[in-house]
Amino acid sequence: MHIRSLLYFLGEALKSIVRNGWMSIASIGVVSITLLILGSFMVLSFNVALFTQDIKEQVQIVLYLDETSDQETKLELQRMLASHFQLEEVRYVSKEEAMERLKQQLGDRAYLLDGYNAEENPLRDSYQVRTKIPEDIPIVAKEIADYPGVGYVDYGSGVVEPLFQFTGLVRWIGLAFMAGLAVTAIFLIAHTIRLTVYVRRKEIMIMKYVGATDWFIRWPFIFEGLILGFIGAIIPVIVIYYSYQAAVLWMQANIYFIPLIPPERIMEEIVKAIIPLGVVLGVLGSSISVRRFLKV
Amino acid sequence: MIEICHLYKQYVHNEFYALKDINLIIDRGEFIFIVGPSGAGKSTLLKLLLRETLPTRGSIKIFGRDLTQLKNREIPFLRRNIGMVFQDFRLLSDRNVFENVAFSLRIIGTSSREIRKRVPLVLELVGLKDKAFKNPNELSGGEQQRVCVARAIVNRPSVLLADEPTGNLDPATSMEIMTLIQDINIRGTTVIVATHDKDAVDHFQKRVVVLENNQLVSDQERGVYFNAH
Repeated sequence: MHIRSLLYFLGEALKSIVRNGWMSIASIGVVSITLLILGSFMVLSFNVALFTQDIKEQVQIVLYLDETSDQETKLELQRMLASHFQLEEVRYVSKEEAMERLKQQLGDRAYLLDGYNAEENPLRDSYQVRTKIPEDIPIVAKEIADYPGVGYVDYGSGVVEPLFQFTGLVRWIGLAFMAGLAVTAIFLIAHTIRLTVYVRRKEIMIMKYVGATDWFIRWPFIFEGLILGFIGAIIPVIVIYYSYQAAVLWMQANIYFIPLIPPERIMEEIVKAIIPLGVVLGVLGSSISVRRFLKV
Repeated sequence: MIEICHLYKQYVHNEFYALKDINLIIDRGEFIFIVGPSGAGKSTLLKLLLRETLPTRGSIKIFGRDLTQLKNREIPFLRRNIGMVFQDFRLLSDRNVFENVAFSLRIIGTSSREIRKRVPLVLELVGLKDKAFKNPNELSGGEQQRVCVARAIVNRPSVLLADEPTGNLDPATSMEIMTLIQDINIRGTTVIVATHDKDAVDHFQKRVVVLENNQLVSDQERGVYFNAH
C-alpha cells in the first residue's frame, strides 16, 4: 500500500469516526461492554483455576515400604522413583519422622502415643510422591505399586477421582461460557458496525459510481473497525485493572485464605486476550458489514 | 465509441423485457437525448452502460471493450471514464462542495496538490467558484446539480451520462443545467442524457433516440420531443 493511500485511509477512518459520533460511541460501547464481561469472567475463571490447582497440588501418593525387603531393593526403588518422568517430587519420610508428625497432629492428645518409642514404632518408612500433573496420580500410583520393595500405595482413591472430575468440569464450564460470550460479542459488534455502514451506504454507492475499487472503499472501514475495536478493548482493560486491584486488596483483608493471582500477572493475560480480540472483532465486524453494500 | 448490438435486458423474476433488441451507435463527441415515458427502459440503458447490470442477450461495447466480457475488478476503471449525473444529485451532506467534487479525484489517488488545482477550475466552469466551502444543503437545487456535474467531470471522463438531470428542477434552472451540459459537450465530452424534459429536447435540437414499450422506436438527428409521439 502506498504511504499516501495509507494516510488517506487512516484520515478517512478518523474523520468518519468523528462524523458518525454517536454511532462510533455506540460501537465502542458495545465492544467495551462485551469485552468487559468477557474479561471479568476470565479473571474469575483464572482465579478458580488457580484455586482448584492449589487443591489438586495437595493431592499426593504415599508409598509405604515393604519392611522385609533388603537394602539393595530399597536403593533400587529410590533410583526408580528418582528417574520416573511423571514425578515432580519424591520425599523420603522415615518412620521416626512420621511418628513426630503424628504427635504434632494429635496435639493435646499426643499422650496416646506414649507407649511407643524408637524400638516400638508401628509406623512404616514411606515416600511422599507428587506428580507433575495432578491428574496423573491414579495411573502413576498403580504403576509404582508394582515396583520392588513397595508395601502398599495410598493416594486417597475414591476421593481423588471425583475431585479431579469436579475441577475438570469447572474448567470446561468456564471455557464454554467464554466461548459463548465471544460469539455474542461478535454478533453485537457486527450488528452495530453494520448500522454505521448502513448509514453510509449512499457514500459507498457514490464511490462505486465514480470508480473506486472495492478495496479502496473497504480500507477506511477496516481501519475504522480497527480503531473502534482497539479503543473498545482499552476501556475494559483499564476498568478490570483498577477493579481487580481493589478486589484483591479487599480479599486479602477479609478472606485471606483464598489465593488470588497478583494483578500484574493476570493483567498480562487479560491484555494479551482482550486487545487482539477487540481489534479482530472490529475489523471482522466492519469488513463483513461493508461487503453487502459493495454490490453496485 | 459506444456500440450496442441486439441488446436485450430482462430482470430476474420479471417476465417482461426492460429492453428489447436495441441497436445504437454513438460516436465520440456526440450529444444524444434518450427520451420516452417512464418505464420505457431509459434508466436500464444507462445502468447497462455503467456495467451496473449485465445484458441478458446482445452486446454493449464502450471504448472498444465489450462490457459483457469485463471482469469485476475492471469495472472501477471503466467508470473512471464515465461521469454520471443523477436526478437526485446524490451529494454527501456531511462535507462541503469542494470535498464533494474532490471525492472523485481522491478515490483515484490524485495528489492533494493536484486536487487543489483542479477542483477550483471545475467549480469555476460550472459557475460555483464562490460556493466551494458551502454545504450542499445550503444550495438551491440548480446549484446542487451543478456540483453533481462538477463531480462527474472533474476527472475528465470521455463520456458523461445524465439520468433525468433536470427532473427535480424548475424550467428556467433546467435550461441552465442543460446549457452547462452542452458546454461540456462542446469541450469534447460525449454526452448521453436520459430525460422527460420536452422543452430542453426541443430547444437544443440534438440527436434524439426514442424508447417506447422497451424498444427503440426512433432515432433522429436534430430531433424534437414532439415528433417522438
